[in-house]
Amino acid sequence: MTMKNIIENILLYSTALFVLGCNKKLDTTPTSSIDAGSALTTSVDVKLALVGAYKDFGTADFFGGIIFLEGDLMAYGSELDWSGTYQELTQINNKTIPVDNGFVSSNWLDGYTAINDVNNVLSAIDVVDASEKDKVDGEAKFIRGASYFELVKKFGRSWNDGDPTANAGVPIVLTPTHSITEESKVKRNTVAEVYTQVINDLTEAEAKLPQDNGFFANQSAASAMLARVYLQKGDYTNAAIEANNAIKTTAAQLAPTYGEAFGVTSDEDIFSIQVTASSGTQGFNEFYSEDQRGEIQITDDHLALYEADDDRLNLFNSDGYTLKFEEVYGNVHTIRLAEMYLIRAEANFRSGTHVGDEPVNDINVIRNRVNLSSYDAADLTLDKILLERRLELAFEGFALDDLKRLEGSVANFDWDSPKLIFPIPKREINTNPNLTQNEGY
Amino acid sequence: MRKLICLLAFFCCISTAIAQNKTITGKVTDSKSRLPVVNATIKTKGYDNLTITDQDGNFTLTINGKAKVLEVSSVGFTTQEVPISDGIINVNLEQADKSLTEVVVIGYGTNTKRDITGSVSKVSAKEINNTPATSFESAIQGRAAGVQVSQQNGKLGQGINIRIRGSASISAGNEPLYVIDGVPVITSDLSGNGAPTDPLADLNMNDIESIDILKDASASAIYGSRASNGVVLITTKKGKAGTSKIDLGYYTGLQDPTGRRKFMNAQQYLDLMFAAGVGGAKQDFINGDSGYGTLEEALDDYKSIVEGRMTRYSADNDDWKTAKINTDWQDQVFKRAPISQYDLNFSGGTDKTKYYASGEYLDQTGILIKNGYKRYNARLNLEQSVKDWLSIGVNMSFARSENKRVANDDQFSSPLQIVALSPITPVIDPRTGLISGALDTITGNPNTRYPLYYNPLLSADNAYYHTMVNRTIGNVYGNLNIAKGLTFRTEFGMDQLNQTEEAYRGRLTVRDEGVPNGYGYYLTTQVLTINTNNYFHYSTSFNDVHDVDLTGGMSYEKGTTVGSDATAQDFPSDAYKKLSSAATKVDATSYSTENTLLSYFLRANYKFNDKYLVSLNGRVDGSSRFGANNRYGFFPAASVGWILTKESFLENVKWLNFLKLKASYGLTGNQSIPDFAARGLYAGDGAYGGIAGQRPSQLANPDLKWESTRATDVGLEANIFGSRINIELDVYQRLTSDLLLDREVPGTSGFATKFENIGKLYNKGLEITINTVNISSKNFKWTSNLNFSSNKNKVTDLGGQVLGKYQSKAIEGQPLGVFFAREFAGADPQNGDALYYKNTPKAGGGMDRTTTNDYNAATDVVIGNPNPKFIYGFSNTITYKGIDLDVLLQGVSGNQIYNGGGQYMSSSGSNGYDNQTTDQLSYWKKPGDITNVPEPRLFYPNGTDPSSRYVSNGSYLRVKSVSLGYSLPASLIKKAKLDRVRIYVRAQNLFTITKYKGWDPEVSEDDYTDNINQGVDFYSAPQIKTIVFGFNIGL
Repeated sequence: MTMKNIIENILLYSTALFVLGCNKKLDTTPTSSIDAGSALTTSVDVKLALVGAYKDFGTADFFGGIIFLEGDLMAYGSELDWSGTYQELTQINNKTIPVDNGFVSSNWLDGYTAINDVNNVLSAIDVVDASEKDKVDGEAKFIRGASYFELVKKFGRSWNDGDPTANAGVPIVLTPTHSITEESKVKRNTVAEVYTQVINDLTEAEAKLPQDNGFFANQSAASAMLARVYLQKGDYTNAAIEANNAIKTTAAQLAPTYGEAFGVTSDEDIFSIQVTASSGTQGFNEFYSEDQRGEIQITDDHLALYEADDDRLNLFNSDGYTLKFEEVYGNVHTIRLAEMYLIRAEANFRSGTHVGDEPVNDINVIRNRVNLSSYDAADLTLDKILLERRLELAFEGFALDDLKRLEGSVANFDWDSPKLIFPIPKREINTNPNLTQNEGY
Repeated sequence: MRKLICLLAFFCCISTAIAQNKTITGKVTDSKSRLPVVNATIKTKGYDNLTITDQDGNFTLTINGKAKVLEVSSVGFTTQEVPISDGIINVNLEQADKSLTEVVVIGYGTNTKRDITGSVSKVSAKEINNTPATSFESAIQGRAAGVQVSQQNGKLGQGINIRIRGSASISAGNEPLYVIDGVPVITSDLSGNGAPTDPLADLNMNDIESIDILKDASASAIYGSRASNGVVLITTKKGKAGTSKIDLGYYTGLQDPTGRRKFMNAQQYLDLMFAAGVGGAKQDFINGDSGYGTLEEALDDYKSIVEGRMTRYSADNDDWKTAKINTDWQDQVFKRAPISQYDLNFSGGTDKTKYYASGEYLDQTGILIKNGYKRYNARLNLEQSVKDWLSIGVNMSFARSENKRVANDDQFSSPLQIVALSPITPVIDPRTGLISGALDTITGNPNTRYPLYYNPLLSADNAYYHTMVNRTIGNVYGNLNIAKGLTFRTEFGMDQLNQTEEAYRGRLTVRDEGVPNGYGYYLTTQVLTINTNNYFHYSTSFNDVHDVDLTGGMSYEKGTTVGSDATAQDFPSDAYKKLSSAATKVDATSYSTENTLLSYFLRANYKFNDKYLVSLNGRVDGSSRFGANNRYGFFPAASVGWILTKESFLENVKWLNFLKLKASYGLTGNQSIPDFAARGLYAGDGAYGGIAGQRPSQLANPDLKWESTRATDVGLEANIFGSRINIELDVYQRLTSDLLLDREVPGTSGFATKFENIGKLYNKGLEITINTVNISSKNFKWTSNLNFSSNKNKVTDLGGQVLGKYQSKAIEGQPLGVFFAREFAGADPQNGDALYYKNTPKAGGGMDRTTTNDYNAATDVVIGNPNPKFIYGFSNTITYKGIDLDVLLQGVSGNQIYNGGGQYMSSSGSNGYDNQTTDQLSYWKKPGDITNVPEPRLFYPNGTDPSSRYVSNGSYLRVKSVSLGYSLPASLIKKAKLDRVRIYVRAQNLFTITKYKGWDPEVSEDDYTDNINQGVDFYSAPQIKTIVFGFNIGL
């Protein structure tokens, strides 16, 4: 090989590199993710996206439990003792929430992430196989309805606080986001508009969902969520009807003992958020369980509310911890059947109806399971029903909503105090000038 | 192509005809030492007759009869012209001013310091070799102007941040590009434990010949879209012809933490806790939270609660009442730790072959309990001249490192979080005879109620986290001399990094992890970067006054990362630590990603009459990371230089030996963003309840492109007073636009952020380097180097948003990462409430400077800046006979530190029973007290929200490095057939002067350091103070 040959070879080689080095070399393909444009092209794709929506819906700061726990921290007053290290939760506990509270920002963000997920699913509903279209549509709307319901309760005034058709709720977004434009800077809808959206979504879900749907949302779950919404609105007629629908249609049954309702899984769940070792977080467990952070203890002020024989007392240990959330990989028992009996009883009692059953029978179902004697119909009062509800659902995330709808008070805060409403997160106000801040922030 | 070959053929065919010859002889000597100069080049001016001197400095050359003048040159000497005369021509060469002839490595070539028009800092082997530290970056701290090196903490092999002329990015990378012998190397953090590792720790710093840091656009633009954070070119040692050397090195020594933070002793702690109980009771009563009837009732209740807790944390006994146990928990996690390093290298060569081969072993134990680092290195650099027109070579290094790591700063198991434990708690639980927390005798399980928090000592004995890296960096290359002045170089290089991380946490760590039966973790990451550089270099001179130097070619680079990890729990016993034994496999993932970069580059240097310099650079980069609409970027730069001392009007100024003015302007880019940042993506991580799912993960931005920095540099270099003083001065401005920002978007979109090119910032600064030869006599030499840099950083446009979490923010009109929170105003003298300045704008202008106890009624203001106003280094080197002493002082000034742990450790009992820093003893006690520490109130936040309460001055001056050596006299060692023997003692971080009350002012929370979050202390380990003894033997 002569020198000239070598030179020529090298030059050829480098020239080849020059030429080969065209745009093609720069086309790399993601492997751990896929392009959004091709993500929802088949029926299977859309169903995968629906599963992903459940994951976001059930994320720790949202239906994984933290958003409920936050409400309880605000509303239980002297019945619980918070000694945690997260300043953000301390602020919530003290009802002095700065607008940049990270937990509150996450509640908002995670809620809307789930909503965007299902908006994506709904936008591609036409590619879903006909046989599954209703189911997918119904599940997506269940998630959306439940999400908006939770958001409007936390970030808006209570339904019974002033005029819901004038009070600001949260923005309603019903289309998936592909890019950020001026239209992304949405305004807050009124509380009433959000409730209407919630009821529409859940009603459609109830109509479209099958009865049997594994651990995903089914028809009873939609009915049960609707019952909650109507109860919160003070629409007792519909609350009784929907609670009754849930009780009649669900395959769930009361666990033999109260403690068994709080296992890893539970037959009593009408709907639960799935937590496994590899996905999901049990938000209650992290803070309530003595084996975890153990930062919330239940005080005598709460324990004194129970009758001595109440089996539910056995779910508190001597250190003052509740044992409801001991399973680190246990499901979040979002809607238990017991709650439906309590809603049906309260709603029937308030409106003097007996949809499904007499209120006293529903209350006695709850009482008898925890070794308490039955009430006579004549002795039943609204206060007794509400106390039963308070004890049966203790620390499961109902305290703040009940405080508001029952117009009670906690410490020096009345039910309609602006301090019991979350601020619109600072990052949202910063990114969207069309959002108005809540009173008091 | 055809044209190119023709061009080459033309160069090949250049030949010279010789006529009317005559032969001359002579000798070249060093004017100072009178020794012969070997290999000096003798050339006839204007003709092509050329030879070199032999071993005795003699030469014989046949020359053209018309030649009149000889040019005599040699490396290290000033080139001299002598008239051709009959008879023997004797030439005395003057030793050249080293600061001018020094070779500077630039991208794809070299140049001399004299002719450089860009801004380049050089750190040489002498300064960095044998530095007793894990990573070479530690060794350049304080050595180069404009280069800020800050190590996050004293954990071994962990993150080091380098900023060259300030931070030019907010969301993309801010670290410079590192190139070792032409191979761009992997610097991305691959750590899985939440705190970054330093991939450059894999290098053996004793292999490094020089580090050249390209700072301005003129120097760095040839690296195009990766150059805006500067480029660090590392050149490893090569063999030299005509030598054959063996060097053996060893050092060993001890390391200690540089500082400690003062925490309360048992009595102080007890006093504070009871005071917090009183404060808490008062609040509780006022608020009516717990329904106390009277204040007395509240006080009694709180007192008994605190007493109960004290008994609990005193291992359920009354020892606390007499403060009998007084544990200093810092003692339990800090260790005096050994360090040793062994080096052996062989180097040498002939005129055909040059070799350098080395091996190194570093064995370092950390100052934190169970922290340790071991590294094995080997290198072979070999170059062979195959033909007179072809040489080939290889630079290849292998490394294996084993890092026994400790948890990141934000973990209860992190060693220094131990300071939160109560001083009344004994190290050994008297009830069990085991480490406190190991066993609860009632449950038979690890204790979850005692001590206050999880005890990190349990992790020391029952958990491990090992990061092991196998690394191969190297390239093969060929150099072709095509024609006179024209060469072609082709390189094929790679950097292969295989990392395995393995962790196990045993049963006793359950309180930390919440996993009762053992937790195992196994992570692998394989990163492979391959690259090829192919370029021509042509250099010529004509008409005696024109020097042209051209470099041009292409480069292609591809990086792939493949990784996997698996976690499992429920192990049969702690004797089983591998995942195969675990009953529950919790998670397993694998992933891969890749990026490519295709580039063309060109540099043209022109020098006229040896005094006017012009340089043009440019690179075209195509990157797979950019959006489809913006695939290619062009990055040009130009610079000029003027050597004034070559002008007649300065020729007679005797004190001024050299003066150069230079200026540069250019455009560079930054593309260190995620590989698929421009794409709209769905991620397949949406599994729920054991069923696979997908979900939207990223919004698309097809317009995404590189960040652009337009940099201007004006500078001068001067040598005065017989070149005893050398001054370099640079003033620069770097305007960065199209910042790649993770722009916050309305959460109602379902996304938190989107990657966009918005935003601008600038860095402006001044750099001064002064080198002096203070004394230079036969036996005694004293030289100094002072480098001073001041950089002003300001974010000018973020599209109106404020970025950053917690207190560290990027805000328009402010330096990057300023601390932005409420301004603390001390304790209310009336009631001990924490007060804040409202700082709300007043109607008529100005700020409302009244105070409030309502945190929400006050507004955030800038309360600190983590960026130093200036940084400096000052080194002095003294040699006296065989003794050498080198002292480096290094410092930063004008920056602040935010103590992120303050809300827990200096919090007036607001966080419960955490032990407190002693400065909290001056808390508010009674009405009228003027103090900066609010009343302690158990579990009532009183001034613990982010505020200037936790901001401190971060300036420091450090005795960074001291080295004292003695070289044994030649007469002594020659008998032992040794070439040289030097023994030395060397210290690193010997002494620090600072007002900072924390562990060490050089700090950045390791679990959360990014471009914005800098200078935050969060239980962060101090730096390492090291003293070693060592020797080097050469034979």
